[in-house]
Amino acid sequence: MKRVYLPIILLLSFAVNVRADIVPSPGVLTLTPQPAPALSLTDLDGHAYNLKQDRGHWVFVHFWASWCGPCRRELPTLQAMWQEMQSEGLRLVVINTAEDEDTVFSFLSSTAPALHPYMDRDGLVTEAWKPRGLPATFLVDPQGQVRYQALGGRDWHEKEYMEFLRRLTQP
Amino acid sequence: MYNMRLGIMLLLGLPIALFYIAKDVRAETVYNSEALHLLLGFPRPQQIAAFYEGRGFSKPMIDIIRQQCFVNVIIHNKSQDILWLDLTQWQFNTSDRLLQRLDRTYWQTRWASLNIPQPHRSTFRWTLIPRQLDLHPQEGEGGNLILPRQAKPFSLVATFVTGANKQGTPIVVRFDNLQCGVDP
Repeated sequence: MKRVYLPIILLLSFAVNVRADIVPSPGVLTLTPQPAPALSLTDLDGHAYNLKQDRGHWVFVHFWASWCGPCRRELPTLQAMWQEMQSEGLRLVVINTAEDEDTVFSFLSSTAPALHPYMDRDGLVTEAWKPRGLPATFLVDPQGQVRYQALGGRDWHEKEYMEFLRRLTQP
Repeated sequence: MYNMRLGIMLLLGLPIALFYIAKDVRAETVYNSEALHLLLGFPRPQQIAAFYEGRGFSKPMIDIIRQQCFVNVIIHNKSQDILWLDLTQWQFNTSDRLLQRLDRTYWQTRWASLNIPQPHRSTFRWTLIPRQLDLHPQEGEGGNLILPRQAKPFSLVATFVTGANKQGTPIVVRFDNLQCGVDP
């Protein structure tokens, strides 16, 4: 049985690695692959999420705060990107850094209501990911390795970024 | 003048330092070249307090914050090379003394001694400009830098090392006659 699965696993692994070598869009850094730091949080309703549950998918991990100007400009573009990409295999994890539920709820409901935020209530998960600043975006591959990091904020709904994300997720 | 100095220094083959004397502007002052845009703002205690009060910070925190001199830094690497932000290479001086920046370790210790809630400590940390960062081409960064409040004008000499291997031409920026923001 193992003999049957092994070539398939190797082929899938090869396909993922090839895709990870895609040249990223401007402002997106290719990183030396490393295991994603722990990410286990709850949403506004207390429902738990762990990054490990999305193994097998590319995951777009995004950290933000309502006081951060570039975050405010970027979140609506993230929402527009997500509305097109959610059916294409990409997973999105939007994490608020160290703010309370009321702030996050009232802010997102007027800025990007379709986004589903997870709460890093004490800011320690954000610290563990070591972003360069806020906003921060990391792309985690289907094996749970961090492969790309975006520098600062941008319009994720722009064609070049949409194409980049599609190249990652397309079979 | 800028290009002439650069040309002369290149011709001489000497280590190059690009100096810029900024104009005396209290609320905001700027350095701009082909490689670097650096903007310094000097918010008033009232403005800084309002920002952190809006984030739910407690009165003891706000009282301490009000007593400091905040410098809001916005930096943009306009070059096609790595530009290193390194706050240990930024020197603040009044006419008679060196001003020591109140760094992250200082604040961590101070907030811990007051049992400030972790979320507020975290938010405060994220509003500080990183101590060290390799700014990639076209990358920008912003945040606060904090000095002890004092009334005298002060200067800043900030050195930016360039190049991935830090072997590029350093950029040295000088601002004179800076002042902490003061409430009316």
